[in-house]
Amino acid sequence: MNRIGLLLIGLVCGIAASAAMADVVAVVSAGSAVTTLSRNQLLDIFLGRANRFSDGTPAVPLDQAEGSAVRDEFYSKLAGQTAAQIKAYWSKIIFTGRGQPPPTVPNDVEVKKRIRANPAAIGYIDRSAVDDSVRVVFWGQD
Amino acid sequence: MFVFNAFGSLGVVHSSDSQADFTSSNTKPDGAGYGHSWSANVDSRFGAQLTANVSSQLSAVVQLISEQDYSNSYRPEVEWANIKYQFTPEFDIRIGRIDLPLFLVSDARKVGFANPWVRPPVEVYGITPISNSDGLDLSYRLHLGDTTTTLAASYARSYRIDLPLHFSSESRDVSALIVKTEYGAALFNLSYLTSHATLYPTIGLFSAYRELGAPGDAIVDTYGLVDKLSTIFSAGVSYDPGKWFATAEWTQFDNRSFIGDNRGWYVSGGYRIANLTPYLTYSVLTVSPTSSAGVDAAALPAYLAGTAAALNAGLNQILGQRPAQRTDAAGVRWDFARNLDLKIQIDHTQLGPGSPGKLFNLQPGFHFGGTVNIFSAAIDFVF
Repeated sequence: MNRIGLLLIGLVCGIAASAAMADVVAVVSAGSAVTTLSRNQLLDIFLGRANRFSDGTPAVPLDQAEGSAVRDEFYSKLAGQTAAQIKAYWSKIIFTGRGQPPPTVPNDVEVKKRIRANPAAIGYIDRSAVDDSVRVVFWGQD
Repeated sequence: MFVFNAFGSLGVVHSSDSQADFTSSNTKPDGAGYGHSWSANVDSRFGAQLTANVSSQLSAVVQLISEQDYSNSYRPEVEWANIKYQFTPEFDIRIGRIDLPLFLVSDARKVGFANPWVRPPVEVYGITPISNSDGLDLSYRLHLGDTTTTLAASYARSYRIDLPLHFSSESRDVSALIVKTEYGAALFNLSYLTSHATLYPTIGLFSAYRELGAPGDAIVDTYGLVDKLSTIFSAGVSYDPGKWFATAEWTQFDNRSFIGDNRGWYVSGGYRIANLTPYLTYSVLTVSPTSSAGVDAAALPAYLAGTAAALNAGLNQILGQRPAQRTDAAGVRWDFARNLDLKIQIDHTQLGPGSPGKLFNLQPGFHFGGTVNIFSAAIDFVF
């Protein structure tokens, strides 16, 4: 296949992926004292620049599986970054010995389970999966 | 408790000038051009890293990199090997072989996947081979509003780098201060380093100057590279809101020897279209001094006049051939799979007047001050 063909497929896939985006929200435990987070605070926590919430309590971020729609949507909404850009960012951190990306959990249900078990945990799930056990702290706008 | 990560690049480079070599680091003995029409040595490397998280406070990291070294071998070298103790989440100490991130991406410059280009611009990143040190560093992270500022101070007693042609450089008392501020998509970096540098063995020209007595000693004191103060000052900024990026860096490397005052800077930007990121870079390296009056032959006995003139010519050749150049580069990064990218880059370099630029292994047919085009292709991976 020629390069133009590959380019077109890439563009079409990109458009299709954006159309299929999930509606993602960031959540903490319903019992957490944290009520809302700014985009930058959330970004700092998920990019390993901060390991505490603004009130000083520890923050333990949880990522969803690589390649999942909810993960791609989260970083796109939060940082305007594609999965590849986030991967490149973490490569920089990992290979300078400065840290490791957040642990990954397989799905929304598992994120909620981990958040129930650990009040310091913060994750992101599809809006439709929100229930009483979690509190939404970021909707996608400041 | 243990985490294993690896990265690497497979690259090929072609240079339009077959009378000299182009490569990515002055620790490499050959490159593309004269040594090889197409060289895989310029950008190819493999790195493996093991991190041990002993406790939430204590961790250790070892990274080995295999790439063409000064002796043309791919023997793995220890890039970093250090123990980190985290006093608080914001304050840590590292001891061992640590990275020295003087420039924006100097700590990750070998991880092609982490960077938009095939390689960071040589006009800045090639100015000094120093990218790590054997010592300790203290790092403190400060959160002010929405900004995160990291202050790092490091010290190493000495650090030696092996260079081609049996040369090596030794830096003593390497002290560095680095300030990095992140605010959303913006990143600012300021760094300052001082050290005392010595080049081994002493260049024959300077031993010969010594034979001329006091006037010759004065030349050696000015241009010789024995225990000379080196300072590096660097400032960088990058902005990456996702859809596009822009970055610029400026650095001054000053060594009180024939190396002199070296200033490098670049501006680069790119735009992301789905999985493609085309980019443009303009980079400049200037040096001074490029000439010297040398030793005053009139102050010497008449029978030494010829020797003095020959030595002065040698000194001016060294100074005149310091690397000055500017490059226009265009390239594209294609993220074609989750852990893989492919990059193509073309560099058009104008060498400074009478200068070979960063080219080396110069052959008799080489044109000083000419232009050269470099074509590079690389696949980068991480896992």
